[in-house]
Amino acid sequence: MSTETLIGTGINVFTSDARTVGKIRFLDSPEEVLDFIDGPDVAETIVISRGGTTTFMSPALMAGVAGLITLQGAPESHLGILSREFSIPCVMSTAFSEGVQTSRGETVPADGSTVRLDITGDKGQVFLVSE
Amino acid sequence: MSDEIDVQLLLQKYKGRYPQGTAGDEQVRADLPVPFIETTDADVRTSGLSDDQVNSWLEYAGWNLWDFILGRASEGESGLIPRQEYETVSFVQQWANYPKFIRILTEELGVDGLLELATTSRREVGTKVNVTRNWAASVCPILGRGIAVDLGFHGPDDRREDLEDFIQFGRRLQHGTWGGGPGFVSARGFQVPVLDDDVLATLVDQAKPLEGPARDAFRKFNAKTELFGFMLHYDCRAGMGDTGPYPLPGGRFAIVRDHFLNETAYPWSGVAEGLPYCVTEVLIFPSDTVTATVNEIMTTFTQPTNYLDHLIEGVVFARDEIDTPMSQLRVLDAPEMDRISERCHKGTLGMYRALAKKSRDEKIRDGIMVYTREFLQSHALKVGLWDRFLAEGFDTMTADAEKAWPVLTGGKAAEVLTPVLLFGKGFPTVTSKESQPA
Repeated sequence: MSTETLIGTGINVFTSDARTVGKIRFLDSPEEVLDFIDGPDVAETIVISRGGTTTFMSPALMAGVAGLITLQGAPESHLGILSREFSIPCVMSTAFSEGVQTSRGETVPADGSTVRLDITGDKGQVFLVSE
Repeated sequence: MSDEIDVQLLLQKYKGRYPQGTAGDEQVRADLPVPFIETTDADVRTSGLSDDQVNSWLEYAGWNLWDFILGRASEGESGLIPRQEYETVSFVQQWANYPKFIRILTEELGVDGLLELATTSRREVGTKVNVTRNWAASVCPILGRGIAVDLGFHGPDDRREDLEDFIQFGRRLQHGTWGGGPGFVSARGFQVPVLDDDVLATLVDQAKPLEGPARDAFRKFNAKTELFGFMLHYDCRAGMGDTGPYPLPGGRFAIVRDHFLNETAYPWSGVAEGLPYCVTEVLIFPSDTVTATVNEIMTTFTQPTNYLDHLIEGVVFARDEIDTPMSQLRVLDAPEMDRISERCHKGTLGMYRALAKKSRDEKIRDGIMVYTREFLQSHALKVGLWDRFLAEGFDTMTADAEKAWPVLTGGKAAEVLTPVLLFGKGFPTVTSKESQPA
């Protein structure tokens, strides 16, 4: 039996009742993005990017990731607009209450941890899923 | 503590007074000394503006910019293209370099010729002579003025003639497009139903019901061509443009959407080889389940937000070349839409890999080329003046832009730009001409 803990809240880009669950991957450079899309499990991964611009995440959008989380930006940011067009759930300007520290001191869930995105309302919520 | 409270207030209301959206538009307009954001046949022909006219325009333009930048939360940083950096240097470049070129356009075409040029967006799709450029060709260089003032390059009352010429240039484009009344989209209820009825009818008449796999393919085409347009234009919205919503019989409405896929203006344009200059989508929705607004830079936002789930009809046209006549627009069939989607997919990846290898400074310089060319090149091309623009130094970086570069692209850029973009410092008002030294 799994349990869920709310660990992050941000702004939801578009609403959906679809259940979005995936493993976290924080992508911090174009090289990491390119390596990631050539790897396995792309469609089961929820990626995190720092900014809300769209081109940085464009390979991940086209590869069909399960979801997107950003630490900056808003639904009218370019990445918000494009995630909407690709129908990829997206929560922006997300603040996490627990996780690991990035090289710049931001808190994000650890790579490989399982999260669920709740995008049923204006607020996007990120739940850590524990077995 | 008081600073924090002020910042919160400035993020909720422009200058602590005017909210976002239609309510903000109404309030800021009510407080303007004169209704100069509206255009008339007479006042677009005048030169020599009063302080009240200039300041009314500046005050509204400041609110207008704040209104939509807040919705983006300034986007944050990009790991691929330093967009905020190139945009802000471009504003300074435009303020320094554009005056000569808007005067060439005005002198060569005359005011009536400019008005006629701006009717293009009523008669054509797949054109960058559009509502976004009406706004950008004046507001962006004038924002560059605000940055230049903030950086101490000159005072708010210097270069008054340039300021007035920019305001009138933008107003003339707005007047040509709308025929009078409010020039800004925000003062038109965030609606851009700009196409003439007969032009719209020829497009909408070709739309077909979309269900199942056909709708999925349409959505995939929309997403991949839009993303490629962003990539080709260095992560800016110059590669797309929506108009509408257009009310239609039967409780429906349409959005008409351009994605510019083969802009040949740039050294990296080869990535778009074989693609049409522009693809234009007609997207039709039921009015009882979706409502839409379109902002100043021709982007649609809807309620509910998952608008594409409600798409019921659509059609896609290709404008193969920039000067292909409207009578020769082609309807794309499903196999060609698939081919274009695939080319855009490959093109996006190819350009991504190339960008990943470029230096930050190279990308800023490329971005400045995009951002300065995009707002005037289509106008100059259409009237045969582009070669003259190039010969007279359109792409030459100005001393002010070079001077602003390290500040606007360095670690302290946010300190400069946040007050300019969000706290009302981007559009400093002018003082009485009469009080100026002779």
